[in-house]
Amino acid sequence: MASESRRDLILAAMIRVVGGKGYKETSVADVIEEAGTSRTTFYKHFEDKHECFLAAYEMLVEQVFAEVTSNCDGAESWLQRVENGLATIVKLFALDPELARTAVVEVAAAGAEARQLHWDAVARFTQYLEGGRELSDGRELPENISLMSAGAVSGLIFDELLAGRAAQLPALLPDLLFAMLVPYIGPRAAAEEMRRVAATT
Amino acid sequence: MIARSQRERLLEAAIRVVAEKGYAAATVADLTREAGISRTTFYAMFDDKEGCFLAAYDGIVDALVRRVTLAYETEKGWPQRARAGLAALLEALAEEPAVARLALVDVGAAGPAAQRRYRAALQRLTPFFDEGRDFAPGGRNLPANTSRMAIGAVAGLISDEVTEGRAEYLPSLLSEVLFATLVPYIGPAAAAREVGEKTR
Repeated sequence: MASESRRDLILAAMIRVVGGKGYKETSVADVIEEAGTSRTTFYKHFEDKHECFLAAYEMLVEQVFAEVTSNCDGAESWLQRVENGLATIVKLFALDPELARTAVVEVAAAGAEARQLHWDAVARFTQYLEGGRELSDGRELPENISLMSAGAVSGLIFDELLAGRAAQLPALLPDLLFAMLVPYIGPRAAAEEMRRVAATT
Repeated sequence: MIARSQRERLLEAAIRVVAEKGYAAATVADLTREAGISRTTFYAMFDDKEGCFLAAYDGIVDALVRRVTLAYETEKGWPQRARAGLAALLEALAEEPAVARLALVDVGAAGPAAQRRYRAALQRLTPFFDEGRDFAPGGRNLPANTSRMAIGAVAGLISDEVTEGRAEYLPSLLSEVLFATLVPYIGPAAAAREVGEKTR
């Protein structure tokens, strides 16, 4: 097997093991067992667990991004794109609870660098929300409105994952959509979108 | 002067040590040294570092919630109450940037039990936000989770400042956190009016 694909196997194993056991409890031994590789192979690619986790987290973020952008058609309205993006993340997290836990919950336990990667990822997602300003009828919205939107959504997702309810996330999609839209379009219009999505899911 | 109990001293020492060294690097020996108590006394009160840290964390949260509640209840009318409560929260966090960092950002490093405590702490603020439901026209029809969303938005704004090392400037964030609090209930136009000043 090529060296690069062995590295990818280790990274994927890291994401699964951390999502299942928690970052603190995860050992290099757990990861190589899950990946089916040797200790030598692990240390050929990584200094230690922490370095491996950071690389795994970067891969995870790219994966989620690729998934989200492939479901976001540039020709659609902002509202539709935002809804599709959110639905994609929720579905991905529900299908892969370990990935979700690693992405959202366990990353906080992996130190300052890991948390920075998490924040950077959130910032990348919130860029997509900026388009919502156009819906505000020329009203001046706070500069960091996308951060409010992202904070509200990620708080709800965090609580579900912390409680081990990843599978129930899709049922929360209408609420998540409301949370994301409301700073831009207000409660009445956001509630309409929420009801529309609830009726179709 | 009233002599403080050893437990209180230990909890305060735990906050200082963890804020300074980080949770992972802090040892029970560090805590007992800083508090000036013996190992035996420590283990008579707590099973381990985690137990001690969680108790200390609860103390921080209790103090913050007390301060917010007091400020909130001195005002009449929901937007004014929310403004006063948020201002008190931002001031309290700005007074002790190291504690703010510990309470909001580094708490994740202390493991899942600590993370649950952090989320539970945020939920203690729910009643203050829920009053927005009675204030807002049609507030009864808002999603049941509305207060949790507003809290998430506020926590996101504050954590971002703290992560960037700007905890001491938190009071200048009042307009934004007030907007984030009001907007799910009354929408952006009315929220901006209530905030009453141009956001930066």
